[in-house]
Amino acid sequence: MRLSIIVKVMGGLLRVFGLMFVWPMAMGVYYREWTDLGGFLLAGLLASAIGQAMWLGYRERELDLRRIEALAVVAGTWLVVAILGAVPYVWVGLSPVDALFESMSGFTTTGATIFTDFGRFGRALLFWRSLTQWIGGMGVITLFVAILPRLAMGVGQLFFAEAPGPTDEKLTPQIRKTAAVLWRLYAGLTLAEFLALSMAGMPYYDALCHAMTTLAAGGFSPDPLSIAGYDNAAVEWIICVFMFLAGANFALQYRALLGRPGLLFRNEEFKIYTAIVAGAALLVTGFLWSGGGELAVALRQGLFQTLSILTTTGYASVDFALWGDQTRIILLVLMLIGGCAGSAAGGPKVARHVLIGRYTLTELRRTLHPRGVLPVKIGGKVVPDDVMRTVLVFFLFYVLTFTLCAVAVILLGADLVTGVTATMATLGNVGPGLGLVGPMASYGHLHPLSKLVLTGAMWVGRLEILTVLALLRLEVWQSAHWRVKAGR
Amino acid sequence: MQVIIIGGGEIGYALAKALAPNHELFVVDNDPAVADRFGLLDVEFLTGSGTSSTVLERAPIGECDLLIACTGLDEVNIVACALGSQLGSRRTICFVSKEDFVQTSDGRDSLSEHFGIDQVIWPEAQLADAIERIIMAPGAVDAGAFAGGEIRLLEFRLGEDSPLVGRPISELDLPYGVVMAAVHHGETTSIPRGRTVLHPGDKVVLMGNRKAMNALQGQLSPESTHRRTRLVTIIGGGDVGLRLAQHLEAAPGIRLFVVEHDHARGQMLAATLANALILEGDGTDLGLLESEEIGRSDVLVSVIDNDERNLLSCLIGRQLGVGSVITRVSTPGNLRLFELVGIDVALSARGAAVASVVHQIDGGRSSLLQVLEEGQAKVIELTVPPGFRPTPLRDIEIPDEAIIGSIVRGAEVIVPRGEDRIEPGDRLLVCATGVSAEEIRSLFTTSV
Repeated sequence: MRLSIIVKVMGGLLRVFGLMFVWPMAMGVYYREWTDLGGFLLAGLLASAIGQAMWLGYRERELDLRRIEALAVVAGTWLVVAILGAVPYVWVGLSPVDALFESMSGFTTTGATIFTDFGRFGRALLFWRSLTQWIGGMGVITLFVAILPRLAMGVGQLFFAEAPGPTDEKLTPQIRKTAAVLWRLYAGLTLAEFLALSMAGMPYYDALCHAMTTLAAGGFSPDPLSIAGYDNAAVEWIICVFMFLAGANFALQYRALLGRPGLLFRNEEFKIYTAIVAGAALLVTGFLWSGGGELAVALRQGLFQTLSILTTTGYASVDFALWGDQTRIILLVLMLIGGCAGSAAGGPKVARHVLIGRYTLTELRRTLHPRGVLPVKIGGKVVPDDVMRTVLVFFLFYVLTFTLCAVAVILLGADLVTGVTATMATLGNVGPGLGLVGPMASYGHLHPLSKLVLTGAMWVGRLEILTVLALLRLEVWQSAHWRVKAGR
Repeated sequence: MQVIIIGGGEIGYALAKALAPNHELFVVDNDPAVADRFGLLDVEFLTGSGTSSTVLERAPIGECDLLIACTGLDEVNIVACALGSQLGSRRTICFVSKEDFVQTSDGRDSLSEHFGIDQVIWPEAQLADAIERIIMAPGAVDAGAFAGGEIRLLEFRLGEDSPLVGRPISELDLPYGVVMAAVHHGETTSIPRGRTVLHPGDKVVLMGNRKAMNALQGQLSPESTHRRTRLVTIIGGGDVGLRLAQHLEAAPGIRLFVVEHDHARGQMLAATLANALILEGDGTDLGLLESEEIGRSDVLVSVIDNDERNLLSCLIGRQLGVGSVITRVSTPGNLRLFELVGIDVALSARGAAVASVVHQIDGGRSSLLQVLEEGQAKVIELTVPPGFRPTPLRDIEIPDEAIIGSIVRGAEVIVPRGEDRIEPGDRLLVCATGVSAEEIRSLFTTSV
């Protein structure tokens, strides 16, 4: 592992990241929130300066990233970006731990918040909070890959190390163009939602923030009551539509938009995803209705909450922490499923569950036919053994990470429901959990160490665990060196 | 007609043998060793490559009416045909064995479009299709359907207790609408007469309208009427096995096993076939066949490219209790031998392909519908010319070795008796052996 190349590439990415702070500054100027501007300016300058220094510090000509180096760049970049993104929060008076939690929650599109008193924060900061999710939704690296022409080699490694879910889909032979196409689609959908929400009567500022956090499957809302604060049925239906899209594979949507809508329902994962949404929404609706609600309201809330949790967005149109156990357990199961591969959603992803299910059935069949050639297939295509193995390992580590984090949070003083659901909600990048971290509550009361643990869970969860875990191997660091040897 | 045959293998030899008496033949092969074999036939043998224009010019290609490329290499055949049509051959026929070259993009035939090849013959596919027809007609050893399925043809092997055995045909009560078209006894195929008596072990070809044939099939092979899932085992997942498996998968009520010994090919089969169970192993591995209970199969098809192993798999299958066994035969001489030792159906990829080429050259305007018994008999379709005077069938002198199986008149299908009249515009389905096909054809063309 050549640290010099890692630093150089990360530097290149951070230089560009510094420019992102221009947007909340513009917002601050517009709303005349002069005191908050300093935080963005500081963070922007820091990012650019550090990035520039890292870029210029090493004179590597060929940025040919190897696999492990790409993983290090991705994991490192996400961490540094979250730290720099926390600066504006610290500027307005949050503790560094809380600021990092909020920043990481933003970039990883989790949507878990430590905010309780929203009145303390200006519109520029709340906009920044939504913007972090929007950037994180399509992926920090994807954004950089799309706009940075310098990275020629190893781009694919970076791109797929960050991509959510078991996917290796390229829309064009060139990764850079794929990234650009995906960002354009993402921005287009965001604009569409912004217009729809505005027309439904939401103020422009709120519509913009919600459009950004819906498409990112993030869940931050500038309103302390989340979507429930608007009490607008049309808004909820619109957000339902865009949450559904945010949880579906963007590359697939792009192909469908190119004039082949039939592709959507020929895609196995999309079909199963749709079936899960429909099934879970009907169940939740049924329980809400039988619990004495009005059918139309039950249906709207059932669908909204199903989509919000399954796509790991984490909006609340109602305080579902107060629902009965039957509906809450359905929501918890949805948290463990997640959206589609190649979407903005978190969680283990529908595709991985399908693969695990198929694999289990195949192994059962193998006991009957020990000499049978029994490949695991998805959408009629054989899943290579190494992909299958990665999926299995992913699940093992998902469970392991979940257990370790939950135990730590509970030992640090959280109650059982709070501890377990807080871990599920952060590791799966969902946002709100149940109990004391419910949709109308916040993570602010947790032990500072718990917050750090959960910050780590968000980071590891967004990068789908293996990216980070591979770097924990001792041999990776034993082989780390700064300079490429002379003569090469 | 001047014909150039490129490739002196089994197909080339069979073609040369059939065509040599009536045509001027040149055979091109780059292996001088095969020349001896052709020495006995009245053909001109040229040593050299079929893809070399100098060799083709020696034929000479400019005056050639037909070029047939039938070497074992698809690419060579394609190049030879393309070159031949460039150099002036009037018509080209290309043998291929891989699907890659037959597949069409946008429904267009790329071989004819880009290479100027007039006809592509894919023997493996014809073989697979023939096996499929037989499997889909339980109890029969050959099967066919014509006139949009209104006319069916079935060939049965008669057992000791068959109701057809032991009495002259005129005394049998065959259902109305069925004609006995051919009988295979010993080594010869002939058209039966009223006084012909059938023996156990004979094979009979019956033709008739769909309803009557379905009833007859129920009589002759009662097990065929059971409506249940049938198990089919295919040994060998090569070109033939894969195509057969793909077709059978699409048919309802069939469960498929495919046994393939090559690991990579097995993976490819498992990836391509959605429902078939692929077993990695040898078709002659008794342990594998027993543990997977292959004996419960209704049909076992062995289509490896090796006659001995095919035979062994089939015999093991038969021992384990398989209902009927079908095998592919590469060496024509083995055909009869295989059926003698108890294989229900033995088929060669080349037989039907060669017969269809020969028919094209010698068959004039009639079209060949099906080849029976490796070319000993065939079913052809003739159209009665407009000037033909309507005549009752009994007044037409049909050659001995031919029989009119059915008359298709518009949407109507008639299984004719003596008093039925043949009218202009009728399409006649004729079963004929040997040269009689030619005679019956002239019968309906000269009377204009």
